[in-house]
Order: sequence, then C-alpha cells, then structure tokens
Amino acid sequence: MNEMREIIIGIDLGTTNSLIAYADKAGPHLIAGPAGEEDVLLPSVVAFDDAGWVIRIGNEARAHAVERPRTTVHSIKRLMGKGAEDLTDDLHRLPYSIERRSGEEGRDVAIVKIGDKCYTPPEISAMILGELKMRAERHFGCPVTKAVITVPAQFDDAQRQATRDAGQIAGLDVVRIINEPTAAALAYGLDRTEHATIAVYDFGGGTFDISILRLEGGVFEVLATNGDTHLGGDDFDHALIDLFTREIYGQFGVDIATPEIKQQLRTLSENIKIRLSVRDSAPVEIAIAAGRIYRRTITRREFETMIASLVHRTIEASSRAMKTAKLSPEDIQQVVLVGGSTRVPFVRRRIAEVFRRQPYAALNPEQVVALGAGVQASLLAGLERDVLLLDVTPLSLGIETLGGAMGKLISANTRVPCRASETFTTFKDGQTNVKINVLQGERELVKDCRSLGVFELQGVPPMPAGIPKIDVTFLIDQNGILNVSATERRSGQTASVQIIPSHGLTRDEVRRMQREALEHAREDIAVHHLIDVRTTLEFDLHKAEQMVQRFGQLLDARSRGAIMAEIRELREFAKTCSDAHILNDRREAFNRMTIPLAELAVTASLNRDDKSAGQVPACGVGAEGRENNDGGTGEPILRIAES
Amino acid sequence: MAVDGQNIPAKCLNCQAALTSPLVCDGCHSLNPPPPGIDYFTLLGLPRTYLIDEKKLHCSFLAIARGIHPDRFVGASDQDRSLATRLSAELNQACDVLSDPVRRADYLLELAGGPSAAEVREVPDGFLAEVMTLREEIDQAKTAGNNDALLGHRESITDRGEQTLRQIADLAESSADLDEPNRKDLRRLLNSMKYYDNLLLELVENPLGSEHRAQAR
Repeated sequence: MNEMREIIIGIDLGTTNSLIAYADKAGPHLIAGPAGEEDVLLPSVVAFDDAGWVIRIGNEARAHAVERPRTTVHSIKRLMGKGAEDLTDDLHRLPYSIERRSGEEGRDVAIVKIGDKCYTPPEISAMILGELKMRAERHFGCPVTKAVITVPAQFDDAQRQATRDAGQIAGLDVVRIINEPTAAALAYGLDRTEHATIAVYDFGGGTFDISILRLEGGVFEVLATNGDTHLGGDDFDHALIDLFTREIYGQFGVDIATPEIKQQLRTLSENIKIRLSVRDSAPVEIAIAAGRIYRRTITRREFETMIASLVHRTIEASSRAMKTAKLSPEDIQQVVLVGGSTRVPFVRRRIAEVFRRQPYAALNPEQVVALGAGVQASLLAGLERDVLLLDVTPLSLGIETLGGAMGKLISANTRVPCRASETFTTFKDGQTNVKINVLQGERELVKDCRSLGVFELQGVPPMPAGIPKIDVTFLIDQNGILNVSATERRSGQTASVQIIPSHGLTRDEVRRMQREALEHAREDIAVHHLIDVRTTLEFDLHKAEQMVQRFGQLLDARSRGAIMAEIRELREFAKTCSDAHILNDRREAFNRMTIPLAELAVTASLNRDDKSAGQVPACGVGAEGRENNDGGTGEPILRIAES
Repeated sequence: MAVDGQNIPAKCLNCQAALTSPLVCDGCHSLNPPPPGIDYFTLLGLPRTYLIDEKKLHCSFLAIARGIHPDRFVGASDQDRSLATRLSAELNQACDVLSDPVRRADYLLELAGGPSAAEVREVPDGFLAEVMTLREEIDQAKTAGNNDALLGHRESITDRGEQTLRQIADLAESSADLDEPNRKDLRRLLNSMKYYDNLLLELVENPLGSEHRAQAR
C-alpha cells in the first residue's frame, strides 16, 4: 500500500506530561528534548505574559507557574471537549481564568482568559504539540507532519475531536487517535507470542481507564473498557491540599487560598506523594505570614485513608469492565500498570488484592503509552508487521427522541468501526432541513447524557410533511469519532450534514486557528530563540554567582560589586526583554565582564588543587530542606518558605 | 462463485484475480464492495445455519479484518480510506450478530421472511404474568435482604433463559422451512429473551467482590 515510507510519530498528550516517540525495526524509541537523553518528559504546561502572549512551554513554564499561577496553564487536557458549565467542580481549583465563549446560542465552548487574549483548549494543547513537533523535526532533520495521538479510552467524541483539532492547529495531520490502554497493550505485547488476556490499569494525572484485552498472534482485541474521566492523581493532590487548607485555617484562622500559595501547595503535594511512596512519613512545614509556621507529619497510613475512596472508584470501574467482558479475575493473566499514580504502594496493593496477582510493573508507567503510540505510528507508516488493533467505542451513542428520552443506536463497548441507521422525516410541508440532537452516554434522559451537537440535514427536497424518508447512517470510525451521512430515499439525493458541535470547534474555526498559528510560527521561533537565550543567560549568571561566592575575595570590592549588581540587573531585565538579540548581546557583554574573575578562579584552583565543585544550595518551593532535618527520621523536611 | 444461492463476484475489480473473500482481494489487496443483499453468513464464509463453528467464525473474521481494517489504508486515497471504514463496520456488524445466539436466530428469522419485532410484539402466552410475579418476589427478597432467595431466583431465571434458548435453537435450525405460525412462535420466543436479560441485570453480583464465577468468553 505505502511505497514511500513516511515519518509518522506517536504522541502521548498527557494531563501532566507529554511525550513523543517513533519506532523502527528495533522497536519504539522516545525522542528527547534539548536537555539531553533523559529529557523525554515535556510538562504539559504553558506560561503566558500578562498581555496573554506565550512565553514558555514545558519545564520552564512549570517553574514559572510558582510565581505567576494566574498566567500559567496546566492540566489543559481536563478542558478539552468541554464547556464552561462542565467545570463547576474543577473550576475553583484551577488558578487561571476559565469562561464561556461569548455570543453563541446552543454552544458552550470553554475558553481560558489570559490578559486580553482568549484561548480555546485545543489552541493551548496545540502549543504543547508544536513543541513536540519541533523536537521530532530536530531529531529527524526534516519536517514532520503526521502523527498518532493517544487519548483516554473513556474520551467522548467531542474530546477526541478536540485532540485532533489541536493537532491540526499545530500543523500535524492526526492520522489516528488511539486509546491509551490499547497503546500500552501494544507496547507490552508486541514481542510476545503467547496468547493472553490482560487488563490495563491506567491511572494518570487526570483520568482513569481500565481496559480488558485479548492478545493472540498479533491481534489486540479490546473486550471491554470502563473508567472515569474525572479521576486522577491530581485528586490525590487535592486531598492533601484540602487537608492543609483546613488545618491551617483551624489553627491560625488564615485562609491560604491565594493562587500563588495554591500552586506551591500543588508542588508540595506532589513531593509528599513521591516521598510517601518510599517512606512511611513525610514531615511538612508551611510558612504562614508574620513568622508563623504550620508543622505536620503526614504518615503513609493517613494518606492511604485519604485516598481510599478515590482508589475504590477505580476498583468499581474495573469490576464493571470485567462484567462486560464476562470474565473473573482468574481469567486475567496479567495486569499492566500505566500512569504515574500507579507508583503509589496503596494502589498497587489494592490491584493485587482484587485481581489476585501482583501487577506487571516492569514497563515505565509514564513512558509506555508514548512507546505504544510510536509502535502504532510505525505500523501505519507501513513497517511490516502483522498487527491488528480491534478497539471499541466507550460510550453508547443515541439521539434525542420526543419526550426527552435518549434513543440508543449503538451500545457502549461495540467494536469499531461500527454503524447504525435510522430513518427520519419532516413534520412541516416543504421542510428542507431536519435537525437531530446526537448524544453519548448511558443514562435514560437526554439531560443526563452528553450532547455532541446538533446535526442539521440540509437539502431535503420539499415535499408534504411526513413524506420524505431520510436514511441517516451514524458511523463511528476507528478513532472513536462519529461521522454522519444522510440520503433522502425517494430522490436518492445525498443530504449535506452540517454539524454545530456543542462543545467543540467548527471546521472553519480550526482552519482559521491553524492559519493564525502558522502566521505566528515566525514569532514562535523567535519566542523559542528567546527562551534558549534566557536559559543560557540564567546558566551564565548562576555560574558567575558561584564563582563570586568561592573566589570573589580575590577580586577588588568595586569589581565584585559591579558584577553582583549586573547579575541582579540582568535578571530583572530578562523578565521583560522580548528581543532575543538584545538579550544575547547583554549576556555576551556580561561574560566579557567576568573574564578577570574567571582567570583568577582558574589560577586559584590550580594552586589549591581543589577538586570539589561548589555545592549550590537547592532553592525554591517544596524542595529538600538544607539544615533542618526532622530529628526523628533524618529526612529533610518538605517545606514552603515564607516569600 | 456461488454459496447458498448468494453470488460473490468471481473477479477482483482491480486485478481480475479470482476472489476467495468477498471484500478484499488476496492478490492485490484492493477493496471490493460487497454485492447488495449479501448476507452475513456469506460475508464470513459460513453456511446459513443456526449451529455455527465459533472458531471458524472467529478465524474467518480475523482473516478478512486484517485485509480491510482502516489502519491498512492510512496512505491510500480518501475513497479507499472511507471504503475501508464502511466495510469494516459492515464486517463487525456481521460478526456481532452471528456471535450472539439470540441475534443469530433473530437474523435467520429475518432472512426467512420474518415477522420482525416491530410487526409482532407479543411474547408467549402467560409469560408476562410470570415475569410480573417474579419481579414482585425479587423486590420482596431485596427488601428483606434475603440473599438466599435472590441467589435461587438468579439460578432459576438463568435456567429458564437457557430453556427458552433451546426452544429458539430448535426452530432456528430449520428457519428456512418454517411455516408462518412457527415463524410467529419463534418471534414471540425471541421477544421474551429481553425480559430474562433485564431480570438478570438486577441480580448479577460484582465479579470482583464475591465468589461469583462468570462464564469465560
């Protein structure tokens, strides 16, 4: 089929981190970022300046979040395919402003408001994808335009469309949307020849998926899938944050709810989670205003009690999936773990209890989905392998019927591609348009299900009411995305189907955003250049500070003072300077300024034969404490210092 | 090539090689749209009978699916990509229907001329009254927390369902030769299966909770 081998890459667009991979005959490989081979995780974080322009993506953005939480966007995946009204729970937790896009009837598209600018979730996801695209192009040395992107198995049509739209805006042709558990199963089972029935337990930052698959001679068949798109490791963080907020209010009467503190609490909670995965307790200190300090030791047992009900929801979803597949735990040969939250010992214990076997943890839970996506990408590009992925649609599909009931057309867990047909007619003489409200969900009433949008069948030949017979075919494709086509039976005419998505973008909007992104691409390259210069500048300033600390006394006071002042000034300047060339010129000037000090340092080192490099104390939030150890455990305290 | 009176085109539209499977050519891998009115059994290379070889069904399905899955046509023309998706949907539908004994019997009845569930909505005489009585007994047992009684109900309903399925199978096996009264009987029996499913849904336990042993697929 494919004469020319095209490059198709695989992308895991995650709630917390994103990764990119490709595969060759040797297998899948992750593509690293500029900081070296280990730099395979790109935090799904985008930082903006106060006017609403992008200034940082990834690790830099994550660092930026601490100071500027209102203009830093994380966990954008939670907003994909959603409207502002869907977010009442999560809304008060996110430090950035989310609104409903104005001026539309019957549509609710969530937008993130930063400064004067508004961004839809696909546009922000596109920025992250753009960064990954660049990494791929650097790696291959040529343009990369095709990708496979993974989504949670439980993602509905709107969420999948939003993901594909994000790709398009970033200049990527998303040739396939693949479910995350299926991708993980692919990475797990590709070189295994034995037949097996496996469960993939995927507990990431924002979503939970459980899929049961049968693996047999290169065929990966999903038997059932279930889960919860509002359940993830983020919720563990929230439990801890709520605890601190409550106790601090109780103890000090202070409400520590500012966005800045909340961001620091998030980082602290992540570190506590990691600490409690290897230790039985974590000492914590949070500085409240006016010298007061909140001290607390969280024990592992306490943490486990806090998250027990969240983990229980994953067990319930697993049970539902087993029921659908008509299987018991004995029938499952392997439970494959995916997602950072599966590192928590309590989670692994519960999985072992209910599935009655130790889960398979040999694959890196944060990398396995991207690796699977890379494999799928190479299969689609024509790499010779006899692999067949048979997946299912996670949700039932139906239409609104009279009386507000959901008329089911396709059941959840039906193998895709799948189709259903329904015949419609008109209720007014001469009516040429018919509107259908299409829904996904398992409930009986329309109001409890998810509206995908209003599909308008246009071009129906005018006839008396009730006479036209419009045959509509609903086709869910291999991506889990709905396609609707319609024919008026008597005339044989194809009716054109116009879709007004309830929570998504129209094709015109996506095309416009793609064009705008291309126009800004030049500016984006400049932004990247700026980021690179800033990174290098900070590195130079930091090195200079170290040198001054260790060898500064060898220099005269005036020169030393001048260097320190320039370091301070340059740091301030870098925050507002938007011209990479100007900034780089100043950096080079600064480096020339420190040459005398550097020469002195080299001479002094040679004389002293000093081997040890100066240890720079760790700084920042939630990091290990320097001097004060917790007397008992000898482990550094996790703290938020007073700012 | 004709199977059971159904005609598969003998030659691939693209390369003229003889077709062994109706949807895709083994030689040039081109997609061939099925002739209109082809039935699911012929599509999957099976005889049109109620009793089927499930292994053969699965193998046949996989063999055809490999050739027509949309993932194989990512670099192909828009037309082929669209056709692959439509043909795969058709194949999946055929496999789903033939894999399930009740849907298979229902389909055989349709091929024999019906009646459909829309045309004849009744269930066998006295069945509805039985279902109502059962429902009341189950509700009482639930309120009383009488797990033994509930377990007993689950077993007896499962047995009744299997019994009805055997009656359906007997009729479906000779579906092509049934007279109208017998076809109506088959339709009524098929209509009753829904009620067994609904009753069991209210009674089946959590497979990860108790010692419930489910049938492996």
